Amino acid sequence: MNEEFNWLEYSESVEETATEAEESSGRRGFRRFLPDRPKLPGLPGWAGLPRRPRLSRPRIPGLPGLPRLPRLGRGRGASESAQPSASDLLGGQANRPVEELDDRLRALRERSGVSAAPDPAPNQSLFDVDEVLVSPAFQRKPGGVISAVALSKAQQQQVEMLKDIVGGPLQSQAGNGGRLPRPASVFSLSAAPRLLGTALLVLMASLPFVSSDFAEGELPPADFHDDRHSATSFYNLLDNISGDDYVLVAFEYGPAAAGELDLLAELLLRHIFAQRARPLIVSSNPIAVVHARNIIRDINRSIPDADARLTADKDYYVLRYLPGGALGIRELSENFADVARVSARGQRTGLDFISLQDLKLAVLITENSEDLRHWAEQVLPKGRNLALLVATGYAAQPLAQVYADSLEKVFGPVYGIRDAYTYGEKLQANFSGLLPSPPKQALAVEPEPAPDALADGAASDIAPAPQVEPSREAESTTLALVATLPATATSQPTATTAPTDTPAPTATNTATPTATEATLLAVEITAPQRVNLRRRPTTVDDILALGYPGDLYEVLGANGDGSWYQIALSNGLDAWVAAFLVEERQVTASELAGGQANASASPQRERAVMRLGFNFRLGKNQPRYYQALTPETGDRPELALLRDRSLEIPRLQAMTLGTLAAVLVIVIGNLLVALRALLRRRSSSA
Amino acid sequence: MGRGQRFGAFLSALVAFAVGVTVMLSLLLGDNPALFGNQPGSDELARRLALPADALLRLVAIFLALSIVIGIANLLFVHVSRLKSGKFYSAVLLASFGFTVFWYVTRQGDTSLLEAVQLPIESALAALLFVSLVHGGSRVMSKRGDLWGLLFVAVVVLVLLGSLPLAELAPLQAWSDWLMRIPVSAGARAMLLGIALGIVTAGLRALLGQDRSYRG
Amino acid sequence: MDETTLQVYSVLFVLATAVLVYTARFLQARRARRSRRAQRQIAGIDLIPGWAGQAIESGRPLHLAFGSAGVGEDNTAVALAGAEFFHHLIQRVGDGDVSPIMSTSAAATVPLAQDTLRRGWSRCGALTRAQWLPQGKRSIGYAAAVSCLIESERPSAHIFAGSFGPELALMIDSADRRGQGSLAVSDQLQGQAVAYAMADEALIGEELFAAAAYVAEAGEAPADAIVMDVWRALLIMGMSIVLLLEVARQLPWLSWQAVAVGSLLLLGLGLLVNRRR
Repeated sequence: MNEEFNWLEYSESVEETATEAEESSGRRGFRRFLPDRPKLPGLPGWAGLPRRPRLSRPRIPGLPGLPRLPRLGRGRGASESAQPSASDLLGGQANRPVEELDDRLRALRERSGVSAAPDPAPNQSLFDVDEVLVSPAFQRKPGGVISAVALSKAQQQQVEMLKDIVGGPLQSQAGNGGRLPRPASVFSLSAAPRLLGTALLVLMASLPFVSSDFAEGELPPADFHDDRHSATSFYNLLDNISGDDYVLVAFEYGPAAAGELDLLAELLLRHIFAQRARPLIVSSNPIAVVHARNIIRDINRSIPDADARLTADKDYYVLRYLPGGALGIRELSENFADVARVSARGQRTGLDFISLQDLKLAVLITENSEDLRHWAEQVLPKGRNLALLVATGYAAQPLAQVYADSLEKVFGPVYGIRDAYTYGEKLQANFSGLLPSPPKQALAVEPEPAPDALADGAASDIAPAPQVEPSREAESTTLALVATLPATATSQPTATTAPTDTPAPTATNTATPTATEATLLAVEITAPQRVNLRRRPTTVDDILALGYPGDLYEVLGANGDGSWYQIALSNGLDAWVAAFLVEERQVTASELAGGQANASASPQRERAVMRLGFNFRLGKNQPRYYQALTPETGDRPELALLRDRSLEIPRLQAMTLGTLAAVLVIVIGNLLVALRALLRRRSSSA
Repeated sequence: MGRGQRFGAFLSALVAFAVGVTVMLSLLLGDNPALFGNQPGSDELARRLALPADALLRLVAIFLALSIVIGIANLLFVHVSRLKSGKFYSAVLLASFGFTVFWYVTRQGDTSLLEAVQLPIESALAALLFVSLVHGGSRVMSKRGDLWGLLFVAVVVLVLLGSLPLAELAPLQAWSDWLMRIPVSAGARAMLLGIALGIVTAGLRALLGQDRSYRG
Repeated sequence: MDETTLQVYSVLFVLATAVLVYTARFLQARRARRSRRAQRQIAGIDLIPGWAGQAIESGRPLHLAFGSAGVGEDNTAVALAGAEFFHHLIQRVGDGDVSPIMSTSAAATVPLAQDTLRRGWSRCGALTRAQWLPQGKRSIGYAAAVSCLIESERPSAHIFAGSFGPELALMIDSADRRGQGSLAVSDQLQGQAVAYAMADEALIGEELFAAAAYVAEAGEAPADAIVMDVWRALLIMGMSIVLLLEVARQLPWLSWQAVAVGSLLLLGLGLLVNRRR
């Protein structure tokens, strides 16, 4: 090891071979010391360490034949410091004022008795190796620290070097006088570009907040563009939740991304709250947990009526922080029931889930693609009923788009401040019509877990028992999710066309079956538990709704062997139910209507559970578009609407102007570098 | 290396190997009855196979949560030792550490200190980060004065301009979108693939007891 | 691909990699005795000898940073690869008077850093020279603490090899202003982008895992680089074949046999050219 740090060998080889190698091989600078084919293991460069750092940049490996631009000048700073010759270093050390030296060097210099001021007379170069290393001053003054310890030969050489550094009057050949680059003082000329650039950025980004005369750029659209099916589906899926639904919301961003994602996070939470659904907030970042609480606190402050404010562990749940990054997320996916039992404050939440399969929606708000990867690869497969809605920052958007395009259960991405604005506009448009209606009676939500789970296997098509029974009456919401071909978002419950990949029955807009007094063939659900009403007569197909014991449905047909009935749902869709779970009955239309009214008395019933037969399909970009049939489901529209929007537009404009400023600074900075290099080249050739 | 050290290294390599192989097999084979032909009892077998990985990974999660103690001990040790050389900021750090602990112990569950101090400071630093990034962008050509540096700057400028909502720049948006969708996405995937290969290789090296940390 | 197939493939992949690790290690041990294997040059690694020399000469430490690569987390392998790289690096600067400083924002990595330092730098100080700077992934606090460290310890250069997000910009910028060199690589894409734009040199992606092989002394290098090379070559070949077959499917006049023969010819040509060179 020590032999490799042989300064003598290095210096000599450098001087002797430099010119020759440079001329013969055509390689310049650092590379001329390398053999033709660098060998592994161990770089040849190490053999001569410490050695003269390379003088010019080698080509990018693996990309031969690319044209090289004229070598541009290096600015002051690390790039320069990475390249000083050893003589620069030595000169720099010798010329450094005493107060700048390390304690150790200062002591050595003091002991050597040599003035810190450089002697202008000698003009030694580093490469006059003998003079440097066998310094006369050092030879006259032996002893000191050196005599106190026994040193190896190599160490002695280094100590000699050190003596030279602190005591030897040396002057560098280098143009910069051999001084080590010093940190630029705030007031020095070299700091000016940075100061000017920063000032420009701050100025441009602040202008929209002080004056409305700087309104630059168009505002984002009020709805997602037609070709962003996945983003529209994001909105619609969230719009289809209703009271007593739980939505998993992952806050995976820190303070650095708060400026970009806070607005979006707030809007998503407001959207959830406005539907009386309850977010379960999780994070693998402890600060994000606190941050989420801050956002909810801000939402609460916007509610004028103190009694109507949101309550922790009732209207929302901030669950315990998940340590260990990906491991934490794995813990969530494997042991969701445990995670959901404890809040971030260490108290019991009272939530009693069985697994992630109890949830339908997860919203991931993240600043980076790694978190998205963990969620898509670990959480999604565990929550079989789960759809993942992704909100990201600009940086993670490209990869998020890839996930949304290739995985059927991933929707979005909705990203950045501009999309947040669009989302806010959509919320505004959809909920403003609901505002005059008085809010429903107060939430009386006591999570009442009754998970007497029944396997949803092939043998039985009885659905797992609900984790929470609805404890309030709400308006009948006939929600259904229909996979359709691209269509525009609409607040009308319009008819939809059948998707190409599923021969689903065409959904029509017959809101309720026409009531006549003639008798109809109907089925009554006789199973002891709620049952699944499916898209097609098979237990592996999508569940469109749930039927409860006693519910009546008109029979539209049956399959070949009579093991499934095709029935009409109250929302106009038709579905299939296994024959052994029901009994045939002849009923009048009024009876049927009564039975259906009973069936749809609660939004918990006959609500789409979003079990749409998701499969992982890589590389298939067929858009799946989820449309809300009745988007006006908000029970507390004021929560979606009562927000301070005064800063939204200035922020958008600040972003536009700030980006413009950044482009200016980047372009001008790089142009200046190029210009300086050209000027230098001209002056050196002159 | 002494005999004791060698034995210790062997033991740690053995433990790593055993735990690693158990977790790996448990993760790969567990929770999938189809692997065992969906016969009666294969459900139970698959479930049991998944148990070791669950248990061990839970242990790791607990260890990670506790590792903060190691960090705090290190922090205190470093800064106490720096106090001796008269470092002012170390004294400030230790004082604020003590104050925070006192605050939290006396007002349990109160995170206002975090909200009032840490969040604003980190947000301000995040704003500074933007300035640093722009400044770094303005000096790319001084670091990489070749075609690749130029290409880098050109793409940065194009993407930034393409993201602006200005009608005059609308034609750039298509270019910017294409860049982000095809070359940037391809490059990112290639890099992730390379990193994934590296992770598998390095992980297996550790698993097979080839890592340096097991060699005593 | 259903879950079962995926699991079977995963098992096969892991087994194949394990076999490769052992084979590569065996071959490498044999080769180290006879000749040295050619390895392409990495510009970033070329900078290190100069910095190491500078650190020794000027009596300043090198700063070696893991970032948020944490033992026990999903990027454990990144932390291990970084530790291997740093280990060989520390041995190279072992003649200096000042031990390198290691920093991490993952508390579980502190023992690994201390161990790495202790093995390479047996003299003293491992306990306080490996520092935990709080805390976690993409921690701005960590970036700020490193900036303070840049001011107070005045390292001669920085090697950021681990897991970093955009906060890397703050650290490199601080180092730049102090005239300190930087080499950076991150397993996060954002950190990698910042590394490329701002550091003096950047390693790209998997070069982090091969870096130790470049810095290590003969016979000491881990076999990772070879295993990765083999897998990468296989991956590229596989992807190319799939792509060519897909193209062939689009062009009815082009049969898959022709594509297969063409690919084999190209492969042979490539090998031939490589051998000649």
